[in-house]
Amino acid sequence: MILESDLLVIGGGLAGLVAGTIATESGASTILLRKGQSATAFSSGAIDIIGYLPDAAESISDPLEGLTAIAGLYPLHPYGVVGYGDDVAPEEVVDAIIGRVRDTVVWLKNHLQGTIASVMGDFNTNIYPITILGTTKPTCLVQETMNPGDVNKHEESVLLFAGITGYPDFNPSAAAKTYLEDRMALGQPPHKIGHCMTQLMPFRKCFNISSIEIARHLDHAGSIETLAKQLEPHVKQIGATHVAIPPVLGFRHALKNKRELEKSIGAEVFELLGFPPSIPGLRLQRALEEVYTKAGGKMLVGHEATSYTKTGQKIKTVVARSPRREISIDTKAVVLATGKYIGGGIAGDEKGLRETVFDIMTVTADYHSAKDILPSKATNRLEISPMGQQLQWCGLSIDPQFRPIREDGLEWADNVFAAGAVLAGYNYSVEKSGLGVALTSGYSAAKSAIKCIKGGGEN
Amino acid sequence: MNEDEAYEYVKNTLKKELITPYHADELEIVKSVSCCINCGLCINHCPVVAAIGLDRFNGPRSIAVELSRSPPEYWSTADKIYLCTGCGTCREVCPKNVDIPEIVNLIRARIFEHRPDLVPKGFMLVKEIIAEHNLAFEPWVDREEKAESRDMRLERLGLPHIPDVVKKNAEVLFYPGCQAEERTQEVREAAKVILDLFAVDFTVLDEFSCCSLPSHLMGDEDSARNLAKQLKKKVKKLGVKKVVTTCAGCTSNLADLAERDNWGTPTYHLLEFLAEEIGFDRIKQALKEQTPSQSVHVSVHDPCHLIRHTSRRIMDYAMDILSLMPGVKVTESITHDSCCGGGGMVSYHSRDVADAVVKENLISLEETGAERLVTPCPLCTAQIESNLFKSGSSIEVDDLTVFLAQRFSKE
Repeated sequence: MILESDLLVIGGGLAGLVAGTIATESGASTILLRKGQSATAFSSGAIDIIGYLPDAAESISDPLEGLTAIAGLYPLHPYGVVGYGDDVAPEEVVDAIIGRVRDTVVWLKNHLQGTIASVMGDFNTNIYPITILGTTKPTCLVQETMNPGDVNKHEESVLLFAGITGYPDFNPSAAAKTYLEDRMALGQPPHKIGHCMTQLMPFRKCFNISSIEIARHLDHAGSIETLAKQLEPHVKQIGATHVAIPPVLGFRHALKNKRELEKSIGAEVFELLGFPPSIPGLRLQRALEEVYTKAGGKMLVGHEATSYTKTGQKIKTVVARSPRREISIDTKAVVLATGKYIGGGIAGDEKGLRETVFDIMTVTADYHSAKDILPSKATNRLEISPMGQQLQWCGLSIDPQFRPIREDGLEWADNVFAAGAVLAGYNYSVEKSGLGVALTSGYSAAKSAIKCIKGGGEN
Repeated sequence: MNEDEAYEYVKNTLKKELITPYHADELEIVKSVSCCINCGLCINHCPVVAAIGLDRFNGPRSIAVELSRSPPEYWSTADKIYLCTGCGTCREVCPKNVDIPEIVNLIRARIFEHRPDLVPKGFMLVKEIIAEHNLAFEPWVDREEKAESRDMRLERLGLPHIPDVVKKNAEVLFYPGCQAEERTQEVREAAKVILDLFAVDFTVLDEFSCCSLPSHLMGDEDSARNLAKQLKKKVKKLGVKKVVTTCAGCTSNLADLAERDNWGTPTYHLLEFLAEEIGFDRIKQALKEQTPSQSVHVSVHDPCHLIRHTSRRIMDYAMDILSLMPGVKVTESITHDSCCGGGGMVSYHSRDVADAVVKENLISLEETGAERLVTPCPLCTAQIESNLFKSGSSIEVDDLTVFLAQRFSKE
């Protein structure tokens, strides 16, 4: 069986889904292959743009500042590459980068509106949501259910960390202690922080409970009232203005649950950022899939790209395999958004690092070939520096159109574009830039791919 | 002691040490476990965990990580391992392609061999039926009564009876699967009506035998391999080019076997056969020749054995075919691809678990407002139908094959 499409997206994380949605909205028929779920589904569900510069101890207060620094210091960073488009004058590079990232943030915010992962926040400032460990991290957008409001601004605010008996991921007393120490050191509110336990028994047991059970339980009618009833006396006792709960407020109805809770207990409620794989991450993944399919995109779930045919400088066909069937997809352009080590876009073994679909050259942080980099030799303590683990920098090197390039510096194919974690030149775990780069590169790769599809015939 | 003697000696101690060596064709599965990064993404997607909680069923990750790394003490997992419905959701979402559903079968096989006392009693009953009849269901004692039941079903559905033909070298072997062969005979007949309508050169088996999936799922690997061998022989003897089935489980299992045992004869679900071999043009033509029947609002359930064990494309075909049918309105339920709980032989010993899994499906099915649910799997049909009935719902359930046959053959 042969399928045809204008654009084939390989990879179903944030980068791939954004690229697919943009292409579909511009009128290109799009097929997206997804093998398994990857980094987006694992994420905390908050969308980081840029939180730190590599090697820097202080976080960045707003994306504007971070992107300006990146444009100067890391010109080959995926954000930096945006500034090298044909239509960008040298003095406009920084503005071009900022403009593009700002556009994508607005685009994403609009598209997630009304989904189960609608987000709040603004490109002009980083926010510092609290994690389930009681620490904070810089990020740009959070889901509305995770909005901490003015808890760290208002002098009179009182925060209550509420745990769930038998849910092992969250210890409210430890989190409260960590957060309070942090706030006291800064001399900033909230000055009063408490903690309490509640009992939710999705299956009549209050032990060994997983996030998904609680989230589904709270989606069912009546469950949120039980939680509200238990929280109420604790809120009254310490006069809490804000209540922080683990990220399990529901899967489909989290926002509704938050509002209902707030109404019954008279305090603001928000979810903390959780460990991977978190429920907000799951919500974000599902919401993006819905955005893509609603736009008219076609998903082939459970399909893995296994081989391809390339004629001259163009990919013509990609073969995808499901557990027991194989299909060929004829396409005019490809967006490669296969992720890094978790997603499987880059694989490392005793032979070195390689890109798994097309076997395109991989590079290191210094843009040397990563073909012979052995992950097994990069596991000692020295490998982790303030610059992060070196392997995290590896991936594909791209031209300003987001086309991966070969050893000789020319693009590997005229119609293959790469986006997301498969790219080299950034380290999302130290920068806190993972979903932001996925978003911007997915958006940019799609724009280039559309141009390539529309200009198709002549070259 | 020379090398050969030593080898024999060690081999003879295996049984005592509760060790069953892996078959060569199982090594891929075993190797896939080592790829597990212990992330736990599968737990958030497992329909059994969602239905009964992590405390009762500890989820796919535990099966992949803990259970498979503690040979030969597999028996210690017996209270959990039988609760897996084998839907394959974990494997599909797994970033590392760990083949958890097959690991479950591997472990069940080892418990079956070394600790039969821990195997659910319900399985032993099925094992006996299979051993006696080569069928997963007790066959009709009286052939005439069976025919009577069939005719009653056909009359109710308004379908003609196409007599069975057994012949050599036909293009297609139509293989209905145990359930359609012995229980829901209307599915078997409906498929024949469709094949006949498109003038397909087909035959049925002279003596029907099970595809081996139930034995495989119970862990009765000897019977499973035996049945598989038997069926291969029959298919080869008939000299057919393709096997077409209406059962989702048979589709994926026969595709597995064809690859493992080099059948050289591909298996298709009837939906694939219609879409790929008959083609949408001929389907359109056939529909034009019928007087349009009453309009109906349906929702569709995707069987795990088609979408996650074979290919999601098959249900795309189903939607494409339904979209061609005049008067058929389809509303997708948000849980259309979520396991119905009928798989993995769970209902044979823990009915409450199987029924808990389907609960979410029923809720979102009611939300669609559809009056009828169609699904191309006799097992899903039975599981959802009985649970809808118990919940007092007015939604009816049809096997998709029957639904299609009715629309194709309205006089």
